[in-house]
Amino acid sequence: MKAVGARVPRYDGVAHVTGRTVFVEDVEIPGVAWVKALRSPHHHATITKLDTRPAEQMKGVRAVVTAADVPLNVYGHLSALGIPGDEPLLADAEVRYLGQPIAVVAADDEQTAQAAVDAIEIEFEERPALFDVRKAFDPDAPQIHQWGNWYPHFEAGMDRRQIRKGDIDAAFAQADVIVQGVYRPAAIEQLPLETQVCQVVPEANGRLTIYSCTQALYFSMGVVAAHLQQPLNKFKFVGGTVGGGFGGKVDTATETLCSLLALKSGRPTKWRWTREEEFLCSSTRAPWHMEMADAVTKDGWILGRRMITLHDSGAYARFSPYGVTKHAFHHTGAYTIPNLHFDGWCVFTNRTPTSAMRGFGVTSVSFATETHLSRIAEELGIDPFELRLKNANRIGDTSPNGVVYTDPSTVPTILAIADHLGHELPADYRTMTSEPRSDGLLPEHLVAQVGNPEDH
Amino acid sequence: MNLNVNGRTHEIESPPLTTLLDVLREELGVHSPKVGCEQGGCGACTVLVDGAPRRSCLLPVAALDGAEITTVEGLGAAEHLEPVQAAFVHHYAAQCGFCTSGLLMAATAYIANGGTDDREAIAEALGGHVCRCTGYVKIVDAVAAAARGDEFDLSVTAAGLFTTTMSGGAA
Ligand code: FES
Ligand code: FES
Repeated sequence: MKAVGARVPRYDGVAHVTGRTVFVEDVEIPGVAWVKALRSPHHHATITKLDTRPAEQMKGVRAVVTAADVPLNVYGHLSALGIPGDEPLLADAEVRYLGQPIAVVAADDEQTAQAAVDAIEIEFEERPALFDVRKAFDPDAPQIHQWGNWYPHFEAGMDRRQIRKGDIDAAFAQADVIVQGVYRPAAIEQLPLETQVCQVVPEANGRLTIYSCTQALYFSMGVVAAHLQQPLNKFKFVGGTVGGGFGGKVDTATETLCSLLALKSGRPTKWRWTREEEFLCSSTRAPWHMEMADAVTKDGWILGRRMITLHDSGAYARFSPYGVTKHAFHHTGAYTIPNLHFDGWCVFTNRTPTSAMRGFGVTSVSFATETHLSRIAEELGIDPFELRLKNANRIGDTSPNGVVYTDPSTVPTILAIADHLGHELPADYRTMTSEPRSDGLLPEHLVAQVGNPEDH
Repeated sequence: MNLNVNGRTHEIESPPLTTLLDVLREELGVHSPKVGCEQGGCGACTVLVDGAPRRSCLLPVAALDGAEITTVEGLGAAEHLEPVQAAFVHHYAAQCGFCTSGLLMAATAYIANGGTDDREAIAEALGGHVCRCTGYVKIVDAVAAAARGDEFDLSVTAAGLFTTTMSGGAA
C-alpha cells in the first residue's frame, strides 16, 4: 500500500517524452510487404464474381489471400466458450457490412498493394439491408444472418438474456406511479490515435513473430491459431505497447490476415489501417435501444422494473452476447429494485460489428438508469439525491442476477457528491450508511423482499 | 536534396512527393513522429521545420530542401530532459504516448516564442492536436508549468516513488 497517496512515476513516462517508446509500427523490419484489403462497398450483397488473377499477376505483388486460403474461415470470438462461429475471416458468398474484408494483398509498397486491390475483379448483387434494431423482428425484415436476426445461443439455448426476480406483477399492482422512458445512446468509435496495425515476420524455425497492438494478447493468439489451425507454439506475440485502445483493440482485426499473407508469400508483412478504415470498418461501441418502466410509490420507492433492451451487434456476434449479459446483470445501476422483469436481445443488423468500449454493456444502462431516476424524482417532486439514497444498494442487497453485495459504495458516493456540491439533505439521509436497511427508511412492503437472497 | 534533422545533414533519396513524415520514419528511421491520420487532422506527426510546428504528413519533402527539422529525438535524452519533457513526466501528460511527440514539438515552439502559462493561450496553441487518453487537462498543466519556468525534480525514493508532490515541491 506504499503507493497509495504517493506519486508513482509512469514506468514508460521518460520513454514517451524522449521518443524511445517502440510502438508496433516503429519496429523496423527489412523487406516488409504492405498489406491492403479489398472491402465490401455494400452493406449487404451477394458476391457474384471474384477474380484475383489480375492482382496476382502485377509486378511487386507477393501474395493474395481469399476465403479459399483460410484453413478455418468461419470462427467466432466466443468460440472458445463453445459458441458456434458465425464470422468469416474473409467474406465468400455474402457480405453483411460495408467495409467487410473480402481479399487481402501483400505487395512491395503501399501504392502497389492498393493498385492490386483495385485490380481485383468483383461483382455483387445488392440485397436489402437492415439498420434499425426495432425492425429486426418484423416478419418481412431482411434476413441478414445465418442464425436469424438475433442471437440464439444464450444459456440453455435461449434467444435472449432474461432476468426474473421477485413478483413483478405485485410490484406494478402496488405502484402509485409508473414512470416510463426510452433511451437510445448512439454508436461511438473508440478512435485510438494509433489505428489498427500489426507486423508479422515468418521466422526460419517455422514460427511467426507477430507484433500486435492488441489489448488482449493471448486471446488474439488463440484467434490466429484457430483460423490457421496451428498449435499455439507456432506463434510468438509481441505486444504491450498500445497507442490507445479503449476497447477497440479487443477484437482481432489484423493479425490473422497478415499471418496468412506472410505464410503464403514467405515475406514479413505489415498492415496499418488508414484513419478512414478505422472509422468505417473497425468495431464501434454498440448503439442500444432500451425501454424501461418503473413501478414507484409516491414517496420514491422503486418497487419493480420492466425493461427490454435491443443491443445492436452489427453483422456478427463477436463479444456482443457478453456485453448483453453484463448489461442485464447491471440493469438496475447502483440501486436495488426488488422485482425485475428484463429481456435483452443481441440483434444483428448490417452495421459494422460492434464491440467493447469502456464499460462494455454497462455504460449504456447506467446512462439510462441515472436519467430515469432523475425523471422519477422530477415526476414525484422528490429530491433526486434522496430518491437515489433511498433506493441505493446496501449490504446484503442482491444484484439482478442474485449476487449479494458485501461492500456497496452507492451511499457514500452519493453523500460525497452532495457534500461536494453543497447540497443540503435531511438528517436521516445525511447519516445514512451502507449497513443493511434496519433503519426507519425501510417501508413495510420491502422488508420481506430486500436483503434476503433466498427469496429471489 | 538535403535535410538537416536534429543537427545532422542527410541526403534524401525518396521521390520528391514523399511526405516528410514518411521520409523521417521510413528512410531515416526517426520514429517519434507518429502516423495518426495522414490528413493533417490529428497532430501526431508534428515536427519543427525551421523552428515552426508543422504537420509532416502534409509536407512533400521536395519543398524542404535545406530545412532544419527538429523532432523529439532532438530534444533532451533521458538524462538531460528539456523542461517541457520533464513537465510532461511530472504532470502525467503522456498516457499511451502516441500523441506525445507531436504535442511536445508544438509546446516547444509555443514556449520558444515566449508563450506564457495562460491556459487559454496554451489551448489555442495546441488546439489542433488530438489526444484520446488524457482529456488534455494534464497536458495544459505540463505546458503551463514549463512556460512558467517551474523546476522538475524527477528523483525517486528507494521504493520507486517520486520524491516531489504534484506542485513540484518536496513531499
Ligand atoms: S498524421 Fe499528420 S496530422 Fe495526423
Ligand atoms: S496519450 Fe494517448 S493519445 Fe494522448
